[in-house]
Amino acid sequence: MNVAAGWSKRVKSRAQTRKQRNRAAQRLFAGSAALIFLVFFAIVTMLVQCSLPLWQSVSPPQFITGRVWKPDQGLFGLLPFILGTFWTTGLGIAFALPLSLLSAVYLAEYARPLTRAVIKPVLDILAGIPSVIYGMWGVLVVVPAVQSIFAPSFSRAFPHAGLFQSGNPTGFSIISAGIVLALMIAPILIALMVEILLAVPLALREASMAVGASRWQTVKYVVLPKAASGLIAALILGTSRALGETMAVLMVVGNVATLPRSLFDPAYPIPALIANNYGEMMSIPLYDSAIMGAALFLLVIVLFFNILSSLVLRRMLK
Amino acid sequence: MKSEIRTHHRWIFWLILISTLLAGCSGSAPKPETITVSGAFALYPLMTQWAEAYQQVNPAVRIDVTAGGAGKGISDTLAGAVDIGMVSRELSPEELNQGAFPVAVARDAVFGTLNAANPYLDQIMQKGFNQQLLAGIYITGEITTWGQVLGKPEVTDQIRVFTRSDSAGAAEMWALYIAGKKQSDLLGIGVNADPGILEAVIKDPLAIGYNNLNYVFDPQTQKPVNGVVIMPLDLNGSGAIEAHEIFADKASAIQAVAEGRYPSPPARDLYLITKGSPGGAVKDFMIWILNEGQVYVETNGYIALNPEQLNEMRSRLDIET
Repeated sequence: MNVAAGWSKRVKSRAQTRKQRNRAAQRLFAGSAALIFLVFFAIVTMLVQCSLPLWQSVSPPQFITGRVWKPDQGLFGLLPFILGTFWTTGLGIAFALPLSLLSAVYLAEYARPLTRAVIKPVLDILAGIPSVIYGMWGVLVVVPAVQSIFAPSFSRAFPHAGLFQSGNPTGFSIISAGIVLALMIAPILIALMVEILLAVPLALREASMAVGASRWQTVKYVVLPKAASGLIAALILGTSRALGETMAVLMVVGNVATLPRSLFDPAYPIPALIANNYGEMMSIPLYDSAIMGAALFLLVIVLFFNILSSLVLRRMLK
Repeated sequence: MKSEIRTHHRWIFWLILISTLLAGCSGSAPKPETITVSGAFALYPLMTQWAEAYQQVNPAVRIDVTAGGAGKGISDTLAGAVDIGMVSRELSPEELNQGAFPVAVARDAVFGTLNAANPYLDQIMQKGFNQQLLAGIYITGEITTWGQVLGKPEVTDQIRVFTRSDSAGAAEMWALYIAGKKQSDLLGIGVNADPGILEAVIKDPLAIGYNNLNYVFDPQTQKPVNGVVIMPLDLNGSGAIEAHEIFADKASAIQAVAEGRYPSPPARDLYLITKGSPGGAVKDFMIWILNEGQVYVETNGYIALNPEQLNEMRSRLDIET
């Protein structure tokens, strides 16, 4: 055995070790990714499977358009909950969008780096506050304010607008849920939107200002149009977050399963339905399937919004 | 060849290291026996006392208690997520069919609540509520103003009606008492949890709600929690409230329940349930509750089961295992 042969053997085995390590690492990574996918698959399968018994007595269209939810009488109509979900989410987005967009423009275009450096961590902290704390704050501050200030003044100011008239004497209402939701998703929206605005190339701004545009004109005619699809994608992501928000909304929304007619009516969103009635599932026939069916419906909606946002983002990047 | 074997060795070494680390997290010391409990808010304060006392006598046992409403206690137990469920209502046949094994351990009651700053409090305290009035408020929705309650049409202040949003024994009992109905028939704004509905009533002078005995009364002062008064119920149907129908402190309320003057429902037995009849540490704990544990019942503001019922429960635990 000469020296050269031994040397080459060593090199070979080192290369093999490298290869093996590489393969092991790849398997580990692939396994982790597969696990996540499997969990998603398992959840969907479970929801579909568990909701199957319901479809034998209620058809899916009946389930979605039914107006009465009386499980002990076998009536499973999800419409009040669907409307409750869309009203609270819609209102939350309506409040959060202008607030977030204006703050994001300020932070990305006007604020000095120091200001940005101070506000950014505050936003991160706000985004990290547990939702039950937002809910508590909603019960203690927003609900009484809606009851004693907003509801009476709006109903007096717009006596003929049904949207502002309600028989609900308390502040537990859609508008309270909307306000709490808006404050919850605004930090996330702002953080996303700032990133998107900062991604617009600096050269575009310089070119715009070089031809004499003011900062505001630059924002209006150059930055915002360029960032539009990204901002829309951020908004859609915020929407799907709001759709699934459970605890904070549950605490302030009133949980009454009727079709809401006014901003000051109580409502009952789907996540609250699931969280509240988990306990009754075992005692009433078909109740568990109906809850699973509601969860499946919610999942499909959120999935739809997520896919929509990634499509929009992809268009922006092209 | 040699280094190849070495790398295998190294993999095995890492594997063993990681698995011992993981095992280390889950329990390297002799593992204490853990009993998990969840369910009714009504039983929660007493259960935490029991758990603490029992763990002192039996240091090898750990007891985890969480509150989440009677329904959650039942679902968790039947799903196998906890060992013992706390239940503050009668069990339905469906729940018994799925293997729920109830053992009554104490009694308490649900009380209606009013805000202490209610502008009509004096008149309400004279006239009182009865089942017809409450049914009008909570079930049919025909009664919406305090004027209707007092028989004074000129009073148009609306009643702010609160109920529990999570599935609760208190709500079941309240509905059963008012009109023989179920929680899902109760009208009103749904608020989460026992402390939640109490808070809602405290914040609104025109509110009515209901709570478990041990949440309406402050354990320190033995009086109703600041800002709340117990809804006076015209228990004997005389059309007016007499002194013995007003519960200004906990002792008088407990006495009324124990003597049967306060109706049942809303007074009720409180149960612990297991999935199938219990065994092992869980059974030991439940036997302890029915014997030594009973001294904690009255000191914590609950009403003890009568002796025959207690004996029946003890033999139930013994026979069926």
